[in-house]
Amino acid sequence: MTTGTLAPGAGPAIGRRPVPWAKLAWVTLRQRRGLLIGGGILLGVFAVYMVIMAVIQNSAYAAVAACHPAAALKCQQLNDSFYRSYWGGGAGPVLAGGGAQTVSSLLFAIPVLLGAFGGAPLLARELESGTFRFAWTQGAGRTRWAVSTLVLPALLLTAATGAFTAIFYWYFRPFLEDQQVSEMLPLAFAVLGVAFAAWTLVAYSLAAFLGAVFRRILPAMAVTLVVYIALAMATAIAIRPHYATPVTVQAWNNSDAWVISQWVKAPDGQVLTQPALNSLSQHLPPSVQNSPSPDAFTSWLTRHGYTMWQSVQPDSRFWQFQLTEGGWLLAVSAALIAGTIWLVRRRGALHLRLDGP
Amino acid sequence: MNVIDTVRLGKRYRRSWALRDCTLAIPGGHIAALVGPNGAGKTTLLTMAVGLTRPTAGTLTVLGGEPPGSPAALDHIGFVAQDAPLYRNLPVAGMLHLARNLNRRWDQRRATGRLAQLEIPLRQKVGELSGGQKAQLALTIALARRPALLVLDEPLAALDPVAREDFLASVVAAAQDDGISVVLSSHVLAELERVATYLVVLTSGEVRVAGAVRELIETHGAGLEEIALRHLRARVPSSRTEAGQ
Repeated sequence: MTTGTLAPGAGPAIGRRPVPWAKLAWVTLRQRRGLLIGGGILLGVFAVYMVIMAVIQNSAYAAVAACHPAAALKCQQLNDSFYRSYWGGGAGPVLAGGGAQTVSSLLFAIPVLLGAFGGAPLLARELESGTFRFAWTQGAGRTRWAVSTLVLPALLLTAATGAFTAIFYWYFRPFLEDQQVSEMLPLAFAVLGVAFAAWTLVAYSLAAFLGAVFRRILPAMAVTLVVYIALAMATAIAIRPHYATPVTVQAWNNSDAWVISQWVKAPDGQVLTQPALNSLSQHLPPSVQNSPSPDAFTSWLTRHGYTMWQSVQPDSRFWQFQLTEGGWLLAVSAALIAGTIWLVRRRGALHLRLDGP
Repeated sequence: MNVIDTVRLGKRYRRSWALRDCTLAIPGGHIAALVGPNGAGKTTLLTMAVGLTRPTAGTLTVLGGEPPGSPAALDHIGFVAQDAPLYRNLPVAGMLHLARNLNRRWDQRRATGRLAQLEIPLRQKVGELSGGQKAQLALTIALARRPALLVLDEPLAALDPVAREDFLASVVAAAQDDGISVVLSSHVLAELERVATYLVVLTSGEVRVAGAVRELIETHGAGLEEIALRHLRARVPSSRTEAGQ
């Protein structure tokens, strides 16, 4: 044959259409089988447990809700026993284990676990083992490969964790309906609404990005963990309270709002400083100081003309806050994924050796 | 048509130049051997030709003017990197399926036919294959893409003598049967003697000699191995200090 027929694009066998996304999706799913199975098992075990507990809890709660009048001693006892069994745990069926409080705090770890294990190897393994030299020299080209590799697992993770949140909501509903737990509390907020999926997505994108930067899986996972925890804490403490101006209410023991801060005003309208409040509580009459009731101090204050104030984010703002948080987490994730694709495209243009140090 | 064309091509990694001032035109229809000691810039040149790395200086085109890494170049270049990187956790059949879905052109019958001939079981995990089998699988995948140019980086380095012989025979057969141009790099010369029809000698990031083997033998009056050795030994006084690896 002559060399002329080698000219690219000359052959009739090959059109100008790039490799279809469906084929690339197959490649991504085949390579991410471990993540899909592992993530599926992790979410599945929790989901099955929560479905079982949801049935038990919802029927137990139906009895509490049906008890009338609610203020009656019998109903109060029923309510207490429900909380001891299913919220705090320990007093109820063995299956309830540590209760919903423990379960929801365990779920806190799921986004970062899924994200770090799912995201970190995407590019780091290719770069660590040298297989990027295979993947990036195929006909599909590295950009399409990177888009498929990064975006498809992101969509699957978001869908799976979103569905998981729905099951969690069903499981958690008795405590929210009873208004003893505010869905605005950090413990509940991060596992409800769109936050759970959004935090998973941000952990995944961060891990993928760091994997491309470090070119090693373990450092990418470790740094993801550290950054994620710092970001989650900073959000709950310093960022989330500012999504909307807090409402000031004259109340104490609020259970249908997230309390940001609280203070006491003296009868003359002056706000008591913390030292003043401490000294006041130490100079109470012995009957109040030694009272077993936790409300003794506050009721003494009320009787003597003091007023109690709180700055709160009410439950009615739940969806506004969810969408705000989901929105900025989505923007951060998109930026990280775009940055990772940019790194894939740029690699080789930088003064970095492809064949080791 | 030249399969690789470079003009004053250079690549710098941080402080040192891995390749510099490289002007080269490798014509198609050859089995071209890129020869030089470790660190001579062979891998650098080849990774630039397949679009994995971008040049720091100069220009490089492949297959008669295509920019490396462009869709047309990717479609028509089959590349087997050093140590034949493949996904170790996949079975051989899975690896084929993966490559098939990553390419617009794919000849499945040819791939499975070659593997059957080589007695490489499709169910075996890639990680469990011998070095020779793994290299043959990587070559099979590259050939199933029906490339115009086959680029092999140090394909023989990790193979035992028998596997080397078999691998080279496969390459020669592919070049002859399908008219594929081949560019392969190696730091060992002996095996290339019988197969290479074009020679490029590279040391310290610079081209020492380049030409069709037949013509080189005529002008130098020596065998391929001797020509290469002579040029590898010839030290160029200039720029040694900066080009140090």
